Amino acid sequence: MTHVLRRLVLMLLVLWAIASILFLMFRLMPGDPTTAYIDPTFTAEQRQVVLHQFGLDLPLWRQYAIYIGNLLHGELGLSFRYRAPVAGLILNVLPNTLLLTLTALVIAYIFGALGGALLAMKRGTWVEAVTIPLVLATRAAPEFWLGMLLLAVFAFAFGWFPSGGAVTAGAAFPSALARVTSADFAHHLVLPAATLAIYLQGLPLLLMRANMLEVMQEEFITMARMKGFGEWSIMLRHAARNALLPLVTAFALGFGASVGGNVVVETVFSWPGIGRMLVDAVASSDYPLAQGAFLLIAAVLVVMNAVADMLYGVLDPRVAHAAG
Amino acid sequence: MPPAETVALAAPRGLAWRRLPSLAIVKPYATVGIAIYLVFALIALFAGRIAPYDPLEILFAPDGQLAASLPPSAQHLLGTTNLGRDIFSQLVLGARPSLAVGITAAIGVASIGTIVGLLSGYFGGLIDTILMRLADVVVGIPFLPFVIVLAVLLHPSLTNIVLSVALLLWPNAARVIRSQVLTLRQRQFVEAARMSAASELRILLIHVAPNVLPLSFLYASIAVGWAILTEASVSFLGFGSADTISWGYMLQDAYASQALSRGQYIWFVPPGICIVLVVLAGFLVSRGYEELLFPKLKD
Amino acid sequence: MTHVSRRVFLAGAAAVVSAASPRAADPGDRIRKLVMLSAPQSNDPQEFQAAQLLAQAWRQLGLEIEVRPLPRPQLADIVWNQRDKWDMSMWRMVGRPERSDPDELVYSLFHSSTANGGYDFVTYINKDYDRAAESERQEIDPRKRQVFMYQAQDIIDRDQPYIFLVFPKNTFAYSSKVWKPESMVEQSGIGIRCFWTFVRAEPASAQKDMIVNAAEPLVALNPLYIGGAVDSWMTELVWDRLMRVGPDGLPVPWSASRAEWTDATTLDLALRPGQTWHDGEKVTIDDVLFSLQAPANGNFSPMYKPFVANIAEVTATGEDTVRIKLKTPNAGFLTASLAKLNLVPKHIWGPLMDSQMAKGQSAEQYQEPKPIGSGPFRMVSFNLQDQVVLEANEKHWAAPKMARWILRVVTNNDAALGMLQRGEINFLTDYRGDPKVLVDMAKQDAAIQVVSTTDMGFRFLAPNGRRPPFNDPTFRRALSSATNRQMLAAAAWNGFAIPANSMVAPSLTFWAKPGINDLKVDMGEAKKLLTDAGYTVVDGHLHYPPGVKETLTGS
Repeated sequence: MTHVLRRLVLMLLVLWAIASILFLMFRLMPGDPTTAYIDPTFTAEQRQVVLHQFGLDLPLWRQYAIYIGNLLHGELGLSFRYRAPVAGLILNVLPNTLLLTLTALVIAYIFGALGGALLAMKRGTWVEAVTIPLVLATRAAPEFWLGMLLLAVFAFAFGWFPSGGAVTAGAAFPSALARVTSADFAHHLVLPAATLAIYLQGLPLLLMRANMLEVMQEEFITMARMKGFGEWSIMLRHAARNALLPLVTAFALGFGASVGGNVVVETVFSWPGIGRMLVDAVASSDYPLAQGAFLLIAAVLVVMNAVADMLYGVLDPRVAHAAG
Repeated sequence: MPPAETVALAAPRGLAWRRLPSLAIVKPYATVGIAIYLVFALIALFAGRIAPYDPLEILFAPDGQLAASLPPSAQHLLGTTNLGRDIFSQLVLGARPSLAVGITAAIGVASIGTIVGLLSGYFGGLIDTILMRLADVVVGIPFLPFVIVLAVLLHPSLTNIVLSVALLLWPNAARVIRSQVLTLRQRQFVEAARMSAASELRILLIHVAPNVLPLSFLYASIAVGWAILTEASVSFLGFGSADTISWGYMLQDAYASQALSRGQYIWFVPPGICIVLVVLAGFLVSRGYEELLFPKLKD
Repeated sequence: MTHVSRRVFLAGAAAVVSAASPRAADPGDRIRKLVMLSAPQSNDPQEFQAAQLLAQAWRQLGLEIEVRPLPRPQLADIVWNQRDKWDMSMWRMVGRPERSDPDELVYSLFHSSTANGGYDFVTYINKDYDRAAESERQEIDPRKRQVFMYQAQDIIDRDQPYIFLVFPKNTFAYSSKVWKPESMVEQSGIGIRCFWTFVRAEPASAQKDMIVNAAEPLVALNPLYIGGAVDSWMTELVWDRLMRVGPDGLPVPWSASRAEWTDATTLDLALRPGQTWHDGEKVTIDDVLFSLQAPANGNFSPMYKPFVANIAEVTATGEDTVRIKLKTPNAGFLTASLAKLNLVPKHIWGPLMDSQMAKGQSAEQYQEPKPIGSGPFRMVSFNLQDQVVLEANEKHWAAPKMARWILRVVTNNDAALGMLQRGEINFLTDYRGDPKVLVDMAKQDAAIQVVSTTDMGFRFLAPNGRRPPFNDPTFRRALSSATNRQMLAAAAWNGFAIPANSMVAPSLTFWAKPGINDLKVDMGEAKKLLTDAGYTVVDGHLHYPPGVKETLTGS
């Protein structure tokens, strides 16, 4: 229990540190952050009013105190560009990112677990010799390039799938839930999710294979063999079950990393997610929005790292809690 | 995304790095990887001679018209972009920034990781706590978003991409090297050095550091691929260095110039394949090397 | 070279050389490497390409030029706020209906009063020009005003404070299966995506909804704040204006039934009777007064404040008549101000103004859940990131012929093209991709009509008049002569642009001086201009005229 508690405290400390780093980064940048949003014809006095509205005329430490105080209340400030609360803008697109990430991860891990187990059985054969470099190549391919290939073939050449967006532009849905469960949404989800899944499946696949190989050398497998269980039965009922546990941890880590790593996939497919919002905000100097999106992505990452750590302890009792 | 190639905390066997040259012979994967590296290194070295045009030169046809979106031909092996640049020349010169970013970032990651790991593991105590908490913070920073924000806040350039890769990717190396140092500290030869009243720094540099270098090399080889992928992604998002032609820049250009809807595959397929090959080479080498260091993983 | 050593050197050289060759003055300092700022290729490929081409050409004069792309916000920050820290920059002026009167461009861009902090960011200062611009602004009689406009354009042509490049073309496309081609209106200098098309387009079939696209999300739907490009052509549908800029670029009375100058600073307006707000309330003379006065109130509407700044007084002179007194005569007032200011319902924005101001906020921070105007379209629903649905206001005196107007936000150019092909949109109103791709697509589908219109906005290179050598008009003229505008239009804008050499677009037929844009590239003339002015090329590098030292204050 104390381990969990310590981990939580560490998590909060890390979050605070990242929030502070982010604050400094954006404040230390050269130039006037509001230039892009102040009409050049404004007088000095009018500029001052705008600066005041965003609290940018206060001393740095006051700005920092207000910033941290607001964060504790879940306040992320006002977007320069949209003149609207950042939190609302982000929450609007967050479900799109979560759905894309989860769909891709689930596909990748199911495929990876099965493929990895299969590959472990094919150890030393030509299948392994061909497959492993192939899997490594999927991890070496830039996600956005995979996405471009899929787009060029399946959207532009064949016209099977839409080339961007989350739903047909302008389509109306009675509720947010109806929107994300519609066939239209699923149709739009196919290419981005496939891109992401192709990229993500390599890790669980290789991990599963290594785990399987390790587990298969352990005593209880030898025992099962001696008891005369069939090879398939041993694989599925004994080895796979044990080899799967580390994948759960990897899934949590992968989820945390993917939410931020999706940036490029979301951009290629014009997927209205938090990654693309971050890129747009950075490109248009909308710093409050960029800062908010960054913080949320970091929060997901930090929380999932902590979850993975704790899962690791729970799933593998051999890990001593005192370590690390 | 942090490197996923995790390494078991087993101690490497002796000074395995001395056997580095034999790596190529022992491991076929690694051989392929090293061969790919060599080919691209040669291309990068002689890029100026191989490329028929300046990659940024705006080309005109003999009739004075812009040489835009030309199909492949003897003059233009891969055709031209919609704004009249030679695609083949861009591809060839693109090898330079990619390799440069990969190698410098690898050195950066390995150096920071090794130094932090050594200090943290050897001295322990407050230094260890501070450095390891710092590593915790760094691991919590989303990778690609950080690189993007830093590139924009400082100035989009290759140096800043290398900087941000080095700043974020060291913790894995540092943690593994730290635990390696922890076990080394208990070893007899270190104890012996202590007894002979050698200075702490001397022990660290002469007796401990050489034994973790193989791990440094391993993490360097992993970082090469990450740095190249990162440069490509950042360029693709439009935050790359504007005056450097890299493969990521080419892909961004092709995407923004509607090469997909024109079906100009010859523009955006080759740079992607180049990236895949170079990054894959890094994976192959590090995998072969890892197996050499930790024979247990060899199944 | 330090000053002292240089002077010593010069003195010595003069003593030796003067007898032999009286003309042999030493060249001035070598001109430093000049930095040309531009938007990055990813953001604006045409502009970046044009910068590269310009640099390629001007290097032939012996100049060393580096093209340095910067993200737009950073570019704007340097160009506007650090006026002595840059050499030259690619820049643009966008066309808007209210710029159909050239006053805003003629006066604000180059009048010396706007050099410090205002629009004259190249710091062009010329008393003759100031007089021409002032005269143009104050002259109400169009014939006489035209003379001053021509004069202003001639001075700019001579001094080249901007190196004008091109007037780009705006390209839009629609489906003639859905909209009758004769009912689509091409507004001068704007194109077919204009207010007049939206109110006049006639359905050609049972499909009575016009479905248009925007390439970026909206920022706000607000009669007192425009946050982005799309906002501006949306708001003019929902909110009416006293005047509108007609398809020919001239102001026409709209919500006002007439507008008459009684003298140079007094304007009498009558409100068109029978207009109502979308919530059923009557449009009253009080609303008109409020609409003209509210933007002047403190910082309530910084965006619109400049457009009411010249109003001295507004008074109701009857049930539905109003009199505007201006501080100084302003010939462009009907177009630049009255066709721009939205009519705002006082019963809604009056209380809002009080509460926003009390909070220290402006109109910008408030988004009406359901915007109310008196325009020809009524708001049905909107989501700024996604789509806006308007319906025809059948009670309006100029009610549109369509049933609904639906805007879809599609950020990907290719996706928008696909939607036009499949009929998911029937009017492509925002296309930022390669026009050639669009034209090629239309060739395969007879129903898709593409219309390109020369914009009244223009692209140019801004040389910084605060820094040498750009403070020398001869040097700027030489650069201009070395500029191949025809080639730029073809190689950077893919043929979708025409050469420019004036801030008054040819689409403003009455004001544009005929023939002013027919500038031909002449490298020999460029070199001659420089040589005659004393510039010399030494070892391939251009040097200043004799005795000229390079001094920069800003860097």
